[in-house]
Amino acid sequence: MSEVTLEIDGKEVKAEEGTTVLEAAKGAGIDIPTLCYHPALSPFGSCRLCMVEITSKGRKRLVTSCNYPVEEGLVVATKSPDVIEVRKGIIELLLARCPNVELIQNLAKEYGVEEPPYKPGDEDEKCILCGLCARMCEERMGASVINFVDRGVDRRVETPFQGTGDKDLDVCRACGACAFVCPTGAITLEDITGKTPEPILSEFDEGLATRAPVYVPFAQAVPNVPVIDKEQCVHFTTGKCKTCEEFCAPRAIDFEQEDEVIEVEVGNIIVATGFDLFDPSVIQQYGYGRLDNVLTSLEFERMVNSAGPTEGHIVLKDGSEPGSIGLIHCVGSRDEQYHEYCSRVCCMYSMKFAHLIKEHTSADVYEFYIDIRSFGKGYEEFYNRMLEEGTVFIRGKPAEVTNIAETPEEEGKLIVQFEDTLVGRQRRLPVDMVVLSCGLEPSRDVEEVARLFNISRSADGFFLEKHPKLDPVATMTDGIFIAGCCQGPKDIPDTVAQASAAAAEALSMISRGTVEIEAATAVIDESLCTGCQLCKILCPYSAISFDEEKRVCRVNEALCKGCGVCVGGCPSDAINLSHYTNEQILAQMEGALS
Amino acid sequence: MARVNSPKELEGLRQQILSERDPNKPCIAICAGIGCLACGAAKVVTVFKQEVEKQGLKLDVDIKETGCPGFCERGPIVVIYPEEICYLQVQPEDVPEIISQTIKEKKVIDRLLYIDPTTGEKSTYESEIPFYKNQHRLLIGQNIKIDPRSIDDYIALGGYKALAKALCAMTPEQVMEEVDKANLRGRGGGGFPAGAKWKTTRDAPGEPKYVIVNADEGDPGAFMDRSLLEGNPHSVIEGLVIGAYAIGSHEGFVYVRQEYPLAVENINIAIKQAGEYGLLGKNILGSGFDFVIDVHRGAGAFVSGESSALMTAIEGRVGEPRPKYIRTAVSGVWDKPSNLNNVETWANVPLIIDRGADWFRSIGTEGSKGTKIFSLVGKVNNTGLVEVPMGVTLRSIIYDIGGGIPGGKKFKAVQTGGPSGGMIPEQYLDASVDFDELTKLDSMMGSGGMIVMDEDTCVVDVARYFIDFLCDESCGKCVPCREGLKHMREILNDIVGGRGKQGDIELLEGLSRVMKKASLCALGQTAPNPVLTTINYFRDEYEAHIEEKRCPALVCKELISYHIDPDKCKACMICGRECPVSAISGGKGLIHIIDQEKCTRCGTCFDVCPTRFRAVKKISGEPVPAPVPEAERVLVRGNK
Ligand SMILES: Cc1cc2nc3c(=O)[nH]c(=O)nc-3n(C[C@H](O)[C@H](O)[C@H](O)COP(=O)(O)O)c2cc1C
Ligand code: SF4
Ligand code: SF4
Ligand code: SF4
Ligand code: FES
Ligand code: FES
Repeated sequence: MSEVTLEIDGKEVKAEEGTTVLEAAKGAGIDIPTLCYHPALSPFGSCRLCMVEITSKGRKRLVTSCNYPVEEGLVVATKSPDVIEVRKGIIELLLARCPNVELIQNLAKEYGVEEPPYKPGDEDEKCILCGLCARMCEERMGASVINFVDRGVDRRVETPFQGTGDKDLDVCRACGACAFVCPTGAITLEDITGKTPEPILSEFDEGLATRAPVYVPFAQAVPNVPVIDKEQCVHFTTGKCKTCEEFCAPRAIDFEQEDEVIEVEVGNIIVATGFDLFDPSVIQQYGYGRLDNVLTSLEFERMVNSAGPTEGHIVLKDGSEPGSIGLIHCVGSRDEQYHEYCSRVCCMYSMKFAHLIKEHTSADVYEFYIDIRSFGKGYEEFYNRMLEEGTVFIRGKPAEVTNIAETPEEEGKLIVQFEDTLVGRQRRLPVDMVVLSCGLEPSRDVEEVARLFNISRSADGFFLEKHPKLDPVATMTDGIFIAGCCQGPKDIPDTVAQASAAAAEALSMISRGTVEIEAATAVIDESLCTGCQLCKILCPYSAISFDEEKRVCRVNEALCKGCGVCVGGCPSDAINLSHYTNEQILAQMEGALS
Repeated sequence: MARVNSPKELEGLRQQILSERDPNKPCIAICAGIGCLACGAAKVVTVFKQEVEKQGLKLDVDIKETGCPGFCERGPIVVIYPEEICYLQVQPEDVPEIISQTIKEKKVIDRLLYIDPTTGEKSTYESEIPFYKNQHRLLIGQNIKIDPRSIDDYIALGGYKALAKALCAMTPEQVMEEVDKANLRGRGGGGFPAGAKWKTTRDAPGEPKYVIVNADEGDPGAFMDRSLLEGNPHSVIEGLVIGAYAIGSHEGFVYVRQEYPLAVENINIAIKQAGEYGLLGKNILGSGFDFVIDVHRGAGAFVSGESSALMTAIEGRVGEPRPKYIRTAVSGVWDKPSNLNNVETWANVPLIIDRGADWFRSIGTEGSKGTKIFSLVGKVNNTGLVEVPMGVTLRSIIYDIGGGIPGGKKFKAVQTGGPSGGMIPEQYLDASVDFDELTKLDSMMGSGGMIVMDEDTCVVDVARYFIDFLCDESCGKCVPCREGLKHMREILNDIVGGRGKQGDIELLEGLSRVMKKASLCALGQTAPNPVLTTINYFRDEYEAHIEEKRCPALVCKELISYHIDPDKCKACMICGRECPVSAISGGKGLIHIIDQEKCTRCGTCFDVCPTRFRAVKKISGEPVPAPVPEAERVLVRGNK
């Protein structure tokens, strides 16, 4: 694109060919009022407020700057007497139409229009018929739901086909783009559609905040750039929109970009796939998902975070500060119905919450526990400090959290029903907020990952280490190590320790440069192999593969541990252990018996 | 129908058609145009067909339903060939006599001839009737001679000869050159030179290029384009193909309003017939040139006649003008170069190619060449379509052709150019009618609407009428036009309603300035014209309305009163009976009195009071005289 030079209000301005006078003026810091213009929408030219006087080829005339293309040598006056007369005239007409719209009132003030010389219209009229909503809906949202109906002086904005129940016509998605773009607040979503908007909830903020379809997943994400959620993005769902592209000055938006699968060849893999938080909605009596102000520990964690959705303020759903908070330990842990194991971190993080609550608010804090397990370095001391700070520790696992009040004091509160096992009494405690200290469980895709890396799992579902004491970071497959909560619940110090060990093991293998393989490995006699692949299924080390071409099985000697399972399993007796053949064993036996 | 593959074959076809037709065989041409149909022409046609059969003449007489020759005022119109005897206002009852007398006996029936209202002279032939005599009917003259549904009729009269010449004997450049030289200016309103526009489209980058016929014709009272499309569709098609050839377009549109069903039907038939002869489609007349036409029916909006709105409508969207500073000739339908011309503009093209630019230039004035069709309506004796050379005076059109103002009333003004035009007062009656002169008078040629107003017309009320029309017909997109019209209508309503204020005229003028300068399309830019011209030429009438609450033309209901002159009332009791709201008290032998409170000013009493009494008076701006005292109400009959 070549550049042209024009003159705006006596100032020399350079602009790219194909852009408009308005854009050129904006670029030069010259203000031209507009009402129907929006950088993301096609020019409409309806408000006529952006008129300027141009002199082109010796001829003077008024044009709308929002769609007049720049020309070499064009002379533009944005405030000539003619322009001002027209602009005032338009403002008078609009003020008569919408006497109570602030945007117009402000314009009127700026242009010295006091009272329009015409009869004022309906005092509730807010729509200036700029058409931004209609263009937004059609051009960007791809819905064409809202538009003008009727013509001439009867023109108005409507959504003629909404509420008809006809699936092909009743297509408003309640995205709210029209209301968003309307400069006068003339649109409320309820007037347009019976549908309620469905905000996109932020995954990182545990659904406590909403996010756009184009978003940075979380602060300090690596790489720290926005991604587009293809499921929600209007462009990917309707082919329209692309508004973000318009606003991104460095032109970095690339709708063609695809997820990439990158293959890297490595000799060692450390699996550190983490855990999932126990979903407490299955414990119905705790009311999670049903009762307001019952939160999971992770939700609460986001809430107290100063970079979180409430900027660190602990608030109830209605925005007020809670006066009392109950923290229930062992939710999903140490419970035969869910997980028998102890999740190891909940006692301590619950106490951290207690500390933070005390720091941020004046709320009373109650910890409902079975046992306090403060086993780490300095942990017991922290527990003692909490006792001193006034956190109330109640031994007893609550039976229920309810909002059904039995006394006036309980009205409007969440009531925790529990047995205080130290006193041996059933009690009810009304609080404003309940935080469920959920346990840790194997991540949802644990089975897939296990299969992929051929890692075994222990009874609790976490990955199984090679040996709990002698080799806690290795797995049965050489070169594959595990670290962190994928191996079992643990806190950060333990995770760091295990991860360091895994890294060290991997490094030692790398520095050795070679791998020692078993001397006795399985060998398949291809002339006897029928290709039944039974051995392949039996091999615990995935050392056997099938040769499609020759239709026989093969042993990868580097992986084979010489366990001999396949040897015994082969129905055709085609497999032998090298240095340890059937004949040798039989000979040994015969020797021993003779 | 066999394909016509060369100009020679076309001429052969023409000769064959002519040879099959006996020039001396009587032919009864009945106008089946919309005006005559409204006067019962369809019945007349049926009766003619029955009667011919009954009188045993079925094989000896041709009956033809033709397009409108323009004199709709006197429809149904019948022309008997070969003598070209012209009968007006023919009723079914007249038919047997016409057959027996005129067809069989060759006798003229005087009663059905045109009789000059002033001289009493009779005209037997079309050409003798003053209405026609003073016209120059290059375009609509053909209408009464051809059946619009018969391409053979058109070819017999030399139709498509110009197309053959253009395609086979001229290069596109030569065609362009000829049209340019003829200085054919657009008949749709703006008067833009067609040649220049064609060139722009031809030279604009982008394919395909489109050519379009604008038959939206939304001006109230105008029907020039309609009568051409209904009466002689092939002339428009021929012009369009020639233009397409010059421009390098292979696809055309006819944008015609849905409210013109006959035009839609006839143009479709014509396109089909032309296609069958190979005058449309592939390799037209063996020239290698391809061209097809698509008919697009418009939803009947005045603003859709505006070029960018029309093109938006062709794309299948709401017909609203586009805010573009690139001309449609360069970027029109689907952003492709698109040349739009009015029906009449296209119909002129074959004439120019056939007879040459020099011939065309010999008609008209310096700046405006050729003829123009006007639809002459309003307070004029002969309403209808008139085609005159550019440059004749308004007076000549209104008096010589239109036969002057009926009822001996005085001429007051003529509105040219439809709602976007202006009102021209008596002092400019001798102005010549061409593009430039009318513009000088702050009016415009427009597409040729011409509404004549007499002294009983209130110009403020007429201005209000046009503004009201535009309030409905504006697309409503841009602020100055939509909001401006709304307030203009309100102010005018106040003025005619007796609520006018000092300063209203200035307010109208200021508002007009903003609308003219700031509106998006020509509709808004020209919308104030009726108001501005009436303020300009009849400011005193506005002032009378505002200051004296008086309507000088005695039209504006809120400003007039009716009262009965006690000296003239003869107590005939007619008015009392007719008054729809029983506002008149009277009785046998009693002078009648109108109750001003009850009176709705419908004017019934005024109309029904026998002309020999003329007792009901219409007044404005003066107090109603006090009613006669009860005691004096008894009518003393004169010496009888
Ligand atoms: C509001 C408005 C209505 C119009 N209506 C018509 C119409 O009905 N027919 C027409 O031929 N031109 C109409 N025009 C003019 C067209 O925009 C255009 O100038 C014309 O069709 C071009 O053809 P011409 O050059 O042959 O006149 C209208 C213009 C405006 C602004
Ligand atoms: S909320 Fe409905 S009407 Fe508004 S832009 Fe979205 S889809 Fe269109
Ligand atoms: S509703 Fe708002 S955005 Fe839509 S036309 Fe009216 S003022 Fe403009
Ligand atoms: S991500 Fe971009 S393209 Fe998608 S809806 Fe948002 S703005 Fe539009
Ligand atoms: S901003 Fe240009 S016309 Fe509205
Ligand atoms: S319609 Fe018959 S003369 Fe016009």
